Amino acid sequence: MRELQELSSKLLSEGDVSVVIGYEEGPRGVRPAFIRTPEETNRLVFDHRAVQNLAVYLSPRRAHLRKRGRPAVVIKGCDARAVAGLLRESQISRDDVVLIGVRCGGVYRDPESNGPLSEENVADRCTGCDLREPGHVDHLVGELPSEPPATDRRKSRIAGIEAMSPEERFDFWSSELERCIRCHACREVCPMCVCERCVCEKTDPSWVESSPHLRGALAWQITHALHLAGRCSDCGECERACPAGIPLSLIKGKVNQVVEDRFDYRAGDDPDVPSPLGDFRLEDDQEFIK
Amino acid sequence: MARIGVFVCHCGENIGRTVDCEAVANACGELPGVVHAVDYKYMCSDPGQNLIKEAIAEKNLTGVVVAACSPHMHEKTFRKATEGAGLNPYLCEMTNIREQCSWIHEDRDAATAKAIDLTRFISEKIKRNSPLAPISISLERRALVIGGGISGLQAALDMADGGREVVLVEKQPSIGGHMSRLSETFPTLDCSQCILTPRMVEVHQHPRIKLLTYSEIESVDGYIGNFSVKIRKKARGVDETRCNGCGECQSVCPMKKIPSEFDAGLGNRTAIYVPFPQAVPNIPVIDRENCLRIKGMQKKKAKAACGRCAEACGRDAIDFEQEDTFVTEKVGAIVVATGYQLYSIGKEQTRKGITGYGEYGYGTVPDVIDGMQFERIASASGPSGGEIVRPSDGKVPKRVVFLQCIGSREPSKGIEYCSKLCCMYVAKHTMLYRHKVHDGEAIVFYMDIRAGGKGYDEFVRRAIEEDGAKYIRGRVSSIQREGEKVRLTGFDTLSGEQMEIDADMVVLATAMQAQPGIESLAQKLSVSYDGHGFINEAHPKLRPVDTNTAGVFVAGACQAPRDIPDSVAMASATASKVLGMFSKERLEREPTVAGVDKVTCSGCFHCERACPYGAVERYEVLNRSGEVEKVIAEVNEGVCQGCGSCQVACPSKSIELEGFTDAQIFAAINAL
Ligand SMILES: Cc1cc2nc3c(=O)[nH]c(=O)nc-3n(C[C@H](O)[C@H](O)[C@H](O)COP(=O)(O)OP(=O)(O)OC[C@H]3O[C@@H](n4cnc5c(N)ncnc54)[C@H](O)[C@@H]3O)c2cc1C
Ligand code: SF4
Ligand code: SF4
Ligand code: SF4
Repeated sequence: MRELQELSSKLLSEGDVSVVIGYEEGPRGVRPAFIRTPEETNRLVFDHRAVQNLAVYLSPRRAHLRKRGRPAVVIKGCDARAVAGLLRESQISRDDVVLIGVRCGGVYRDPESNGPLSEENVADRCTGCDLREPGHVDHLVGELPSEPPATDRRKSRIAGIEAMSPEERFDFWSSELERCIRCHACREVCPMCVCERCVCEKTDPSWVESSPHLRGALAWQITHALHLAGRCSDCGECERACPAGIPLSLIKGKVNQVVEDRFDYRAGDDPDVPSPLGDFRLEDDQEFIK
Repeated sequence: MARIGVFVCHCGENIGRTVDCEAVANACGELPGVVHAVDYKYMCSDPGQNLIKEAIAEKNLTGVVVAACSPHMHEKTFRKATEGAGLNPYLCEMTNIREQCSWIHEDRDAATAKAIDLTRFISEKIKRNSPLAPISISLERRALVIGGGISGLQAALDMADGGREVVLVEKQPSIGGHMSRLSETFPTLDCSQCILTPRMVEVHQHPRIKLLTYSEIESVDGYIGNFSVKIRKKARGVDETRCNGCGECQSVCPMKKIPSEFDAGLGNRTAIYVPFPQAVPNIPVIDRENCLRIKGMQKKKAKAACGRCAEACGRDAIDFEQEDTFVTEKVGAIVVATGYQLYSIGKEQTRKGITGYGEYGYGTVPDVIDGMQFERIASASGPSGGEIVRPSDGKVPKRVVFLQCIGSREPSKGIEYCSKLCCMYVAKHTMLYRHKVHDGEAIVFYMDIRAGGKGYDEFVRRAIEEDGAKYIRGRVSSIQREGEKVRLTGFDTLSGEQMEIDADMVVLATAMQAQPGIESLAQKLSVSYDGHGFINEAHPKLRPVDTNTAGVFVAGACQAPRDIPDSVAMASATASKVLGMFSKERLEREPTVAGVDKVTCSGCFHCERACPYGAVERYEVLNRSGEVEKVIAEVNEGVCQGCGSCQVACPSKSIELEGFTDAQIFAAINAL
């Protein structure tokens, strides 16, 4: 923690960056902090509660933040996948940002948890994480903690849905998505939702119905999932943000699995590795067009 | 208010047999916005087109829907008719009730209902069509020809004679291609060199042809009318401006035993060499792998090795230090004429999935040669001066066995196609042989004889009837050395007999394959190729010399196995296409191209990655103080082929294809 605070203080005082985006104590666990002076850097914290994906603040959709000057941002390995995505898709250039990577021992599902990490409280994405030490960063801080406990919670839920008949599955998702109020919180927190104008907002024609009706909700979630195929950083923020408690990360988790099975690809922290959505290989298995 | 006319075609019986066209017209007449609906036997005929023109005039139509065959077939026809009646051609659309309906269904009622659905679909779309005007783009009226075989030469000459400048790029030290190595050519037996070399000289001397030999295409940028091509001139080791082709250097080179590529390994050449005496340009090249001096330089030896050629050269033309250089040429059209290579019978293959014929002993059993080697043996300019002798001992072979279809038509070996001209050149070989060795016996093993073409079957008959070639329908299963002889074991499929023949020489008529490395050239040009590496034509029947990239044409054996007449015909066809294109000052092209919504584009460049033609470029949006606000996509209208891939890839639907806008497609889908 000291290391992170000192580094941030140095970056700010030397004028390298004009803001450090990190975590601070909040009313419910930790919350994103925008630190502008070296004096404030003692507010920075990092521990198992740091679940939020701060890469979202780099997106050009947050242009008002960008106007404040060059940021440094604290990222975990999973967040590094989103940063790589933004770089890959020309949303930011590498010089515009300083990346402070933190070695990570896993995070809670919910920032309000406390106590040691356990099978019950650990975030799904931490199981089998191969990016506990993010690459392609400017600074790397902290000691590498021990591996977080593993959970197969999400895997078994997905398996449960896979085992359903198509009708049952449709009913399951209908009952979940019926609750969607189309607030688009899932989109707002998604670091990979970089469109200036979401297709949901497109009129003439209006491809995705905008009222909170099952039809539109289904269309929106299918669109979101497909647009994220091979791009999703699996931060789980969509599900965490959803006021209706819809298990969105089951959809994303499944799509990520499909992409991995089909294209042998997992979103990683290297922006130079093309994602399947923007790449093709002759040896790709093309059974879907046969 | 839309005023749509619907015109339903019977296509003779093609549609009418399965679809009740009158019922389709009647039903469509009731659709909202449709003010006129008729059916007719042949809508594409003159009276059919007149029905459209008259209706446009009389009923004041704002849109025309023709329910008929594929737009590939007749969209142009009907758009032209529409334009003729004063309506913008893009206000005419077709719906395909033949391929998508009558040809694939049997139940008349269901097919009729589907035809109505399809027509309703398009009539909703057309309500949202807007008039489009052709796009005009600038045009560089010079052409590039890649490959200097007979195809490339012919294309270059035709275009240059037509008044246009041509850049001809050949990767070998001389132009001429395979034809320069042939002895005499079917179906007339005229001497290949005699008809080819004058053309080579003509190309060399033509004021409008810029010849770049020993050169290869490095990269291709741009689009129809405006290509920019970077060409690598490989280091020849000889200064072309100084050399006068005297040949002194060759005579002093001590490396005299290098197998000559031109003579298919039957003769030898030196390390500095002109591939053959009639080569154009008559300027030697240094084979860097075999030159003692250059090898010494590469090993950084302190003392300069050899260098005799440089001493012998009276014009100081030899330059061991020469390096590859690059030139960039701006051209408006490109003709690909890179020809073929012969299938190798041995183990080593240049293409994946292809195996050789171990059982035929090529390369291990002496006196088993391929067709090109036979050409060299029979050629007056060949290593034996045209005398038919076998390579192992220089004796005149008294019995020569020719095997057809080696590699070709053999899916298990990787090539399922017919190489088309082996039947012909084998017949030619038997004749050449019998004309020179009167007491010799020519035996041919064949699968079928494919001699379609003017004078071709007669030619094969002549070989059999006048020159006494013995044709056996069958296959040879093994070839082995038996003392002085080559023993063939085979099977005559007509008599059902097992056979064993002792021959003095065996000639294998091997398949024609695409050039090695053609894929990388094709990718530079964005043209597609088939699984064998042959360049794809845009349409097998109607556009045989176009490729799928506008402004790039294809001629000769790089498109499929082709003989000389075919190659020359294709080459002239490409020249006529290019000259036609160059007859105007600017190019007009279809307006159905993509356009980006500058306001909503977020610059993710999924479209750039999706575009198979490289049409998406980067555009900087500046703010009031001139700083870059964001970088977004922009479509180059000259390059865009209107495929729509970008439109699908764009997550925010910020890119639209004119004529196929989201609004049009959405309305059409909603009509179903
Ligand atoms: C044994 C045999 C006998 C034959 N006899 C006859 C006959 O009697 N009558 C007949 O009509 N046909 C005959 N043919 C067929 C004839 O050889 C071809 O029809 C003809 O050569 C095709 O010409 P082309 O220009 O298309 O290809 P090629 O002759 O192959 O010429 C292609 C040229 O392009 C060059 N090239 C290749 N790649 C590149 C590149 N990347 N960049 C630049 N240059 C490149 C090559 O070096 C070559 O010079 C025979 C063929 C064989 C194998
Ligand atoms: S956050 Fe939840 S409720 Fe809001 S749009 Fe997304 S899925 Fe619907
Ligand atoms: S329509 Fe096709 S060719 Fe044109 S820009 Fe889009 S992807 Fe490229
Ligand atoms: S895909 Fe769409 S949003 Fe992305 S750069 Fe292209 S036009 Fe713009």
